[in-house]
Amino acid sequence: MDTLLGLIVLLIKIAVMLGGLLLAASYLVWLERKLLARLQIRLGPNRAGIFGLLQPIADAIKLLTKEDIVPSAADGFIFRLAPAVVAVTALLMFAVVPLGPDIRVFGRAVPMVITDLNVGLLFVFALSSLGVYGVALGGWASNSKFALLGGIRGAAQMISYELALGLSLVPVVMLAGSFSLTTIVDAQAGIPFIVLQPVSFAIFVISAMAESKRIPFDLPEAENELGAGFHTEYSGMRFGLFFLGEYVHIQVLGALTAVFFLGGWHGPLLPPVVWLMLKIFIVAVIMIWIRGTLPRLRYDQLMALGWKVLIPASLINIVVTGAFIQFGTI
Amino acid sequence: MPKLTIDNREIQVPTGTKVIEAAERLGIMIPRFCFHPALGSVGACRVCAVAFTEGPVKGIQMSCMIDVQDGMVVSTTDAEAVDFRRHVIEWLMLHHPHDCPVCDEGGHCLLQDLTVAGNHGIRRYRGLKRTHNNQDLGPLVQHEMNRCIQCYRCSRFYQEFTGYRDLGVMGIGSRVYFGRSVSGVLESPFSGNLTDICPTGVYTDKPSRYFGRRWDYQRHPSLCLHCSLGCNLTASARYRRVVRHEARPNLEVNGHFLCDRGRYGYAYASAADRPRQAMAAGTPGTIADILTGAQEAIQRTVEQYGPGSVAVATSSRSSLETLALLKQACEQHGWTGPATTQTDRQALNQRTAVNCLRPELAVSLAADTEAHDVLVIGADPLNEAPMLALSLRQVQRSGGHVTVIDPRGVRLPFDFDHWAVHPSAMGAIVQALIQEIAGDGTAASTEFDVTRLARQLNASPRPSVICGTDILTSREIALAGDLAQALCRTHRVAGLFYVLTGANAFAAALTQSERVSMETVLDRIENGSVRLLVAVEQDLWREFPDRKRLQKALKRLDHLVLLDYVNSPLNHEVSYFIPTQPIYESGGHWINQEGRLQGASAVMAGGDTIEVTGGLDHPPRVFESHIPGSEQLAAWRALAALTEDHAKTVKAIQEETLRSALADFHPAVDTTSAQPTGQRIDLNAVSHAGVESTEGPVPVVNEASSDTVLLLLVDWTFGTETLSAMSPTLEKVEASPVAHMHPDTIASFGLAEGKPVTISVDARQLTVPVQADPRMAPGVMVIPRHHLLEWQIFGETRVIVKRSQLNADGV
Amino acid sequence: MSEDKLKTDEKPLKPTESSGWSALKALAEGFATTAKHLARKPITESYPEVKRQLPERSRARIVLTHDPDGRERCVACYLCSAVCPVSCISMQSAEQPNGRRYARWFRINFGRCIYCGLCEEACPTSAIQLTPDFENIQRDILTLVFEKKDLLVEGCGKDPSYNYYEHAGVTTDQRGKGEHASETPPVNVKSNLP
Ligand code: SF4
Ligand code: SF4
Ligand code: SF4
Ligand code: SF4
Ligand code: FES
Repeated sequence: MDTLLGLIVLLIKIAVMLGGLLLAASYLVWLERKLLARLQIRLGPNRAGIFGLLQPIADAIKLLTKEDIVPSAADGFIFRLAPAVVAVTALLMFAVVPLGPDIRVFGRAVPMVITDLNVGLLFVFALSSLGVYGVALGGWASNSKFALLGGIRGAAQMISYELALGLSLVPVVMLAGSFSLTTIVDAQAGIPFIVLQPVSFAIFVISAMAESKRIPFDLPEAENELGAGFHTEYSGMRFGLFFLGEYVHIQVLGALTAVFFLGGWHGPLLPPVVWLMLKIFIVAVIMIWIRGTLPRLRYDQLMALGWKVLIPASLINIVVTGAFIQFGTI
Repeated sequence: MPKLTIDNREIQVPTGTKVIEAAERLGIMIPRFCFHPALGSVGACRVCAVAFTEGPVKGIQMSCMIDVQDGMVVSTTDAEAVDFRRHVIEWLMLHHPHDCPVCDEGGHCLLQDLTVAGNHGIRRYRGLKRTHNNQDLGPLVQHEMNRCIQCYRCSRFYQEFTGYRDLGVMGIGSRVYFGRSVSGVLESPFSGNLTDICPTGVYTDKPSRYFGRRWDYQRHPSLCLHCSLGCNLTASARYRRVVRHEARPNLEVNGHFLCDRGRYGYAYASAADRPRQAMAAGTPGTIADILTGAQEAIQRTVEQYGPGSVAVATSSRSSLETLALLKQACEQHGWTGPATTQTDRQALNQRTAVNCLRPELAVSLAADTEAHDVLVIGADPLNEAPMLALSLRQVQRSGGHVTVIDPRGVRLPFDFDHWAVHPSAMGAIVQALIQEIAGDGTAASTEFDVTRLARQLNASPRPSVICGTDILTSREIALAGDLAQALCRTHRVAGLFYVLTGANAFAAALTQSERVSMETVLDRIENGSVRLLVAVEQDLWREFPDRKRLQKALKRLDHLVLLDYVNSPLNHEVSYFIPTQPIYESGGHWINQEGRLQGASAVMAGGDTIEVTGGLDHPPRVFESHIPGSEQLAAWRALAALTEDHAKTVKAIQEETLRSALADFHPAVDTTSAQPTGQRIDLNAVSHAGVESTEGPVPVVNEASSDTVLLLLVDWTFGTETLSAMSPTLEKVEASPVAHMHPDTIASFGLAEGKPVTISVDARQLTVPVQADPRMAPGVMVIPRHHLLEWQIFGETRVIVKRSQLNADGV
Repeated sequence: MSEDKLKTDEKPLKPTESSGWSALKALAEGFATTAKHLARKPITESYPEVKRQLPERSRARIVLTHDPDGRERCVACYLCSAVCPVSCISMQSAEQPNGRRYARWFRINFGRCIYCGLCEEACPTSAIQLTPDFENIQRDILTLVFEKKDLLVEGCGKDPSYNYYEHAGVTTDQRGKGEHASETPPVNVKSNLP
């Protein structure tokens, strides 16, 4: 009985989470286009519905009804698999993101997280590494030079920044003393880690953006040199899945930034879930702002930044944090 | 062999080679206008300047004028030379009109290319341009003299190479003019070559005028089917219409040129009346249905009357593929045939020529030009195989001597000896020659100096014998072979060159296992033993020499299956008509008269031309993936479908059938790999045993008598060969048909020069104007097998006509 | 290496001039600029409510123009069809009885045209020209295939003066031999005078 109830609750949570994520992703697209347009003194989507609010629905219909083309020279199976890998890994990461403290329903404590893994952080990393496969395989399976170059760039870039990303969180784990995301959030009930770990925060945000291949790190799809990079040959909903993956990824990053540095759901007055969403929203807006402002890096700059700046910086940061923990006040 | 260095690369070339040619061997293309491999150097254009930096010659020199010497060091990229060439281009362009957009040469113009290469983009000359009036040079060549750069290629080709005089150079200084003294149709049957050799747009191809640009054409290597020489050409097609032939250099065969019959004879392939619809007794149907119908008819006939009741006929214009399938079908199924000629005499002639052509004697057309003394027996080069005349002209130019033994008033564009011998006496003369050459000079004295000719041939370093097969009998053809052998015995080198009747006559001769011609087939139809005839690319209507007999006989057939791509009145009457593809759509292989196996590519897919689908306006506004009117099959495919049960639609089975048929075709023809196309087949494997004996006195056939005249129905350059006679372009240059006779003969038969004569054969008449030709043998009458004449009343192309059959009209 | 070798004339940078600092400043400036844009009115003109007069050189629907004397300019030289990167031009050239070369039919498939303007650049007669009229959309793709009658427009378009047959050396009813721009009368070949 308990198991059954647990299962039902879990399914409900998953459904709510998925629904929310997908809806949020589609409106994130709208937000990005609208905001980007305004940053560039344009109007942005304004034809579908008032303020173009129905644009995401129009886009979804368009993508769903478009012809799904698989190039004759492509490796069909992998070609079809790749977008799913990207979308699924991005979605799965949300399984360990805590949305708030436990709530009580009918006298039962229901955790506001799908599953509170004690190695949640590692889980997140594992999945984001898997996401690379989607990009690399999609690029390779298309059997097109643009796609292949995009895929290779994507793989190189994501693997490089994975390192800085991971290292930047080591101090957070050291401070929280746990890999569990819930515990990390709880550790920030007082001071959010952004205050304690500004360097880590900076490294994390930069690496995270590189991970999600957003401007200024969008080399894998650099339009003006590679067509559309690794997804050049994709059309219809398969392309849509890549697209979806990207925007879910933005939410994941927002959530992770919030969880690791901004104190998760903690905040005064408003309910915890709202706080978390607010924080995700703020991160997303900042990322859009960055996109609206910065030009794309050159490939060597990208690699230099990753290997020569971020990784050494995060290593030093770990040592310094360790020293503080050992001898210092925290 | 001198060794020299060009652009830091060493090369050794034979003495006498020009530097420009040596560079070409290295793959370095030095610019040139006036130099042409067939015409040689004159140094007129100055655009081939290169720098000689070391060695016996120094400084900027014309590379087309300097013979290679040992130790020369040449730079084609030397700054001074490049600058020199750039200036030459600019000078040549001073007076050039501003008309590239409306010039047909644009796109393949040497001057255009070199102007661009010389970086001369903007005219600096501000003066006035010199202009010229154009001439109307007839229906083949368009003249636009303003574009001339005075390279002299045209006058050298026309006067020196072909030996005609009516086009040349006039004027002095900057007024130099290339043309005729007055406007008029060019006399040379090689005039079309002007459009190939002129490096600019002075002479352009008139029939394809403004049709398109070279880059838009579908161009593929093809072959000329209009005589047995098998000249190589590049065929161009545009919008599913064959628009142009250009000479494709083949130094073994046609050199760099083509005759006008070959160049302009293509119209049949895109003729509006070309049959494209399969029909059963005049009712249209799909090809598959008609094929099935024909196949069933064949089966029924075989079941009822036995396999021999099915006869197969084809002509010598069919491809090797078609001939091979027919041969195989006849052998496997026991059908009668294949008949590849109209008359028994032609069949025997063909076979004799092929059998007499021993490998050590066979020479190519190109080798003919190197011959020193040539004896032509029973052939009229200009009329039967025009390019042969051009080869003979080169013999004469290089100091050789040409003697022609022929009853016709043979004309050649150079000086030669002509023995106008009555056909019945030719054998004896050749035999006398053989005896003289062999040294047992018992030569019966005739009016011709056989002894002198024999001595001349004996003294020649490289004699050649050329023999026709159209008007002769097989005995003379075999004797010509003997003559060449006799010469060979005394010289070790001697050439033998037969002119056959039809592009693939050689291969057709190889298919003949027994003596079967259309004549024999008709015999068998008449006696009822043949009930069904399959005629493949065999225009019986035009080519069989007795139309009435043909019509009667065909009516007796149970079924007539016709496969062809030309329009004929028979097409609508036959039981099954299956349209086939001409060479431009099917490609294929042909064996020319010296046994050279040559291939042609398909040039285009075929289908109704857009003149048909769209009128003169734009093509129809429809999207469709299939080409209207393109359903025809290559003849061999249709045949494979007819003979094999499952091959109706499956291309692979058709191809398999073809492969096996080609493998079985003849041991001399190896189409698999050992023998690259373009080489002579293995003449050793051709049976020379079948040659009839030439021992003993030559029987006199069609002896001259005062009461009869020997009528020869012959080939003319234009208007007689079946396919080229359908060309509207050539119709404009062909001469109107006349009967040629010696003036004495005209008089003795009471005829009048210039007046028509009517020849009657069993209530049928042929009326032609008589023309006197004092160069002819007396007692002979020569009439062309012209498409404007209904000559198909005689039953043979060499017949005796009695005095009573001749009627001077109005006399 | 001695000490003084390293000395340069340059003064040491102030912290505010160091590359790191200026980079940060530049970044901040960038973000500030885009942020300020949020408050500005968008410059977008909403099509089709606002239709702007496009510059003459805009590249859209292609036309065939006429000579100043009102005759068809195109001489069907095939240069535009040769240069077209998507092969969307086809035509058939022919000769009029008056000697002018012209296009018997001329077809542009606008379903395929990428409006690159290369045809216009290649045209030796100024016949083919791109116009600013970009509103050329059809439901049935076959209606995007324009024939000569759909392409021909009145007037000379952007080139008001060029008249090819005034310059070409070929004889037409417009000019004979020696009558075109900068030509001398035809040579008399039969004359012996120098
Ligand atoms: S007409 Fe042509 S071939 Fe003759 S000289 Fe002039 S450019 Fe040369
Ligand atoms: S000589 Fe004969 S093969 Fe050669 S081009 Fe003329 S017709 Fe054709
Ligand atoms: S604009 Fe470009 S694509 Fe369009 S017709 Fe002209 S050349 Fe072709
Ligand atoms: S380039 Fe100009 S003149 Fe030539 S075909 Fe095209 S439109 Fe006509
Ligand atoms: S090619 Fe040598 S001078 Fe003309």
